[in-house]
Amino acid sequence: MSSSSRENVMRHIDLVGQLQPALHRPQHAPYPDAIDHALFRAYMRTSHDVGGEPDIPIRWEEKQEEQWEVNTYVTCECLAWRGIWNAEERRRRQNVDLGQTQYLGLPYYGRWLLSAARIMVDKQHVTLTELINKIEEVKKRHEKKSPR
Amino acid sequence: MKRSHHAEKSTGKGDPQCFKGEAGPAKFKVGDRVRIKNLPDIFYTRCQVYTRGAEGTVAVVTHESPAPEDEAWDNTDKPEWFYIVRFKQKDLWSDYPSAYPNDSVQTEFSERWLEKA
Repeated sequence: MSSSSRENVMRHIDLVGQLQPALHRPQHAPYPDAIDHALFRAYMRTSHDVGGEPDIPIRWEEKQEEQWEVNTYVTCECLAWRGIWNAEERRRRQNVDLGQTQYLGLPYYGRWLLSAARIMVDKQHVTLTELINKIEEVKKRHEKKSPR
Repeated sequence: MKRSHHAEKSTGKGDPQCFKGEAGPAKFKVGDRVRIKNLPDIFYTRCQVYTRGAEGTVAVVTHESPAPEDEAWDNTDKPEWFYIVRFKQKDLWSDYPSAYPNDSVQTEFSERWLEKA
C-alpha cells in the first residue's frame, strides 16, 4: 500500500473522531450527493473501532461490579451455553449493532443487558409484546414495593 | 430449544480448540513481514482501522478459528489461521516521539487481513 493510502487511513480516523453524536443538534437526512466516499466510510465505521481517534482523556475510577452487572454477565454466558449466540455475535450486537450513540452513551453492562434482550426477540425466543408486558409488570410491582 | 451449530461443535472441547486442523497450512510464519489489507469495513470487523496499510512482523501464529466477520453470524465453515502481529509505534503514528524508537504494539488478525510485505 502506498504512503498516500496510509495518509487516507489517518484522515479517515480524524473524520470519524468528528462523528461523535451531537445532542440537541438535529441531523437532516442528506441528499445523496452530500455523502462522498470519505464520509460514507466514516459513517460505516464500526463503533467499537475507536483506536487513534483524537479525544480528551477520560477519568478512571476503580469500581466494584454491581449485582445487576454480575447477573447480566451470567445471563449472557447462559445464552452462549444454550447455543443462542457465540461470543463474537454477542460482541457484534453489543459493541457495533446498537450504533454509535448508544455505544458511547450507555454503561458497559447496560449494553450487555440490552443485547441479551434484543437477541431473545430477534431469534424469536420471546416476542417484543411479551417483553414489553413483562417490563411493565415488573415496573408496576417494583413501584408498589418501593415507592419513590 | 435448538442450540446453534457452534455451541454443539465446541461442547466438551472448547473454542477455538474445536476448529483445530480445519484451516489448512498457515500462510505466514513467525518473523514474516506482513502488511494489513485495507478491505471494506462494514457491519463488523475486529481489524483496527489504524493498522490498515501498515507493515509489521508476525510474532505468534496463534490458533485456527472462523474470522470474526464470519463467526459474528455463526458461520463456522471456513476457519482461518490467526496471527499476532507486532508493529513499531513509529510505523503506526507519524508523530510518535522519536525518543522511543523501540516501542511496539501487538494485535491479532485473521489471515484474510494479511499480505506479504
